[in-house]
Amino acid sequence: MKKSIHFRVNGIDTAIEVETHQMLLQVVRESLGLTGAKFACGIQVCGTCTLLLNGKPVSGCSVLAVDADGSDVLTVEGLAKDGQLHPLQEAFMEFGALQCGYCTPGFLLTAKALLDENPHPSEEEIRSYLAGNFCRCGCYQEIMRAIQKVAGR
Amino acid sequence: MKPFEYLEPTTVSEACALLKKGGGEARVFAGGALMTILMKEGLLEPKTLINIKRISGLKGIDFHPQEGLAIGALVTHHELETSGIVKEKLPILCAVEKDVANIRVRSMATVGGNLASGEPLTDLPQVFIALDARIKIASSSGERVMPLEDLYVDYYQTRLAGDEIVTQVIVPPVPERTGIEYIRFSSSSVVDKPCVGVATRISLGPQRLCQTVRIVLGCVGPTPLRAKKAEALVAGKPLDPKLAEEAGAVATGECSPVSDLRGSERYKRAVVGVLVRRALAQAYESASRS
Repeated sequence: MKKSIHFRVNGIDTAIEVETHQMLLQVVRESLGLTGAKFACGIQVCGTCTLLLNGKPVSGCSVLAVDADGSDVLTVEGLAKDGQLHPLQEAFMEFGALQCGYCTPGFLLTAKALLDENPHPSEEEIRSYLAGNFCRCGCYQEIMRAIQKVAGR
Repeated sequence: MKPFEYLEPTTVSEACALLKKGGGEARVFAGGALMTILMKEGLLEPKTLINIKRISGLKGIDFHPQEGLAIGALVTHHELETSGIVKEKLPILCAVEKDVANIRVRSMATVGGNLASGEPLTDLPQVFIALDARIKIASSSGERVMPLEDLYVDYYQTRLAGDEIVTQVIVPPVPERTGIEYIRFSSSSVVDKPCVGVATRISLGPQRLCQTVRIVLGCVGPTPLRAKKAEALVAGKPLDPKLAEEAGAVATGECSPVSDLRGSERYKRAVVGVLVRRALAQAYESASRS
């Protein structure tokens, strides 16, 4: 069964026809060409497919695209504004908070959601909020420092 | 994933009618955190998916001094975690939610879906049962209210009929001098499903005697279960370390854990004993302080 959905992706009004059983990640990557978010575990454990749906982090691999009808979707491609990287992106580069980069879009978006909700989180609050994002290169210390810098800590 | 018909009713009665029409082939879809995984794995293949998220009457949290907290079925875990009214009236729920799954699941998954799924490896049911919570259920022929404790039958099996939807959780006000504790134990990563979760509530009577005692064990049986023998042992007495230890030992015999990747049956029983002892002691202490 096909259904037309209308949503805002990175601030752009988007109308698209999807299969009702398609996942949002697939639509974002394959139909819209936004390949920042990655597929990995497929069971909402690892965080590489994180997207912000109405400002809240979700696993794109497990959200039905039809369920995003009428929503605001932010992908990592929408973080930079007018050619200016987001402060989190700048900080990730400054502290070398990545190696292979596969998990980075998910970490950036989850950190953005945290800072939008709680602009000055403690180290404990950052750890707790990001506990569901995995970095198998093990850049956790650098990621922590990068987020703390943007959080003004 | 198998294709399905997708519907978005905007009222509860419309949703119940669609469920009834679908026979056993239609499923309610709320947050979808668990459902999408089960569907992707081919464990669930509904012909019709009824997304109830557009039903505004199922959202929001209210507090009435007599009734207590009324939590809409569509309230997400993260909404419960960060709700001002919940923080004020029942902060234990916010504390429990902090450790449920990860932020993406908490942003998406709903309280109603969590309770209605019958998923045994979860946290909220045992806490709500310790608080004597009730659930409101709507069907195509009306509405009923049931103690949450009575909802569960077996692994993923509940007493919900085919055309019924959980619409609300009602948590009655807790008496004065009550202590509530929940201890969640993960044997691997903190974001994994719990290995064992124990909820306790003690409401004190005169002379610091335990008047009402609830000990609810999660993840160690097909359903969340009350350790009623352990509760009876503690009821009517003041709690001391020896009694807490004995209650823990009794509770280990009241559950039926299975060996899996989170621990062997023997190991989980031992964890139950320790957590019941600790959770009783902490609930008693906070009841005595309040």
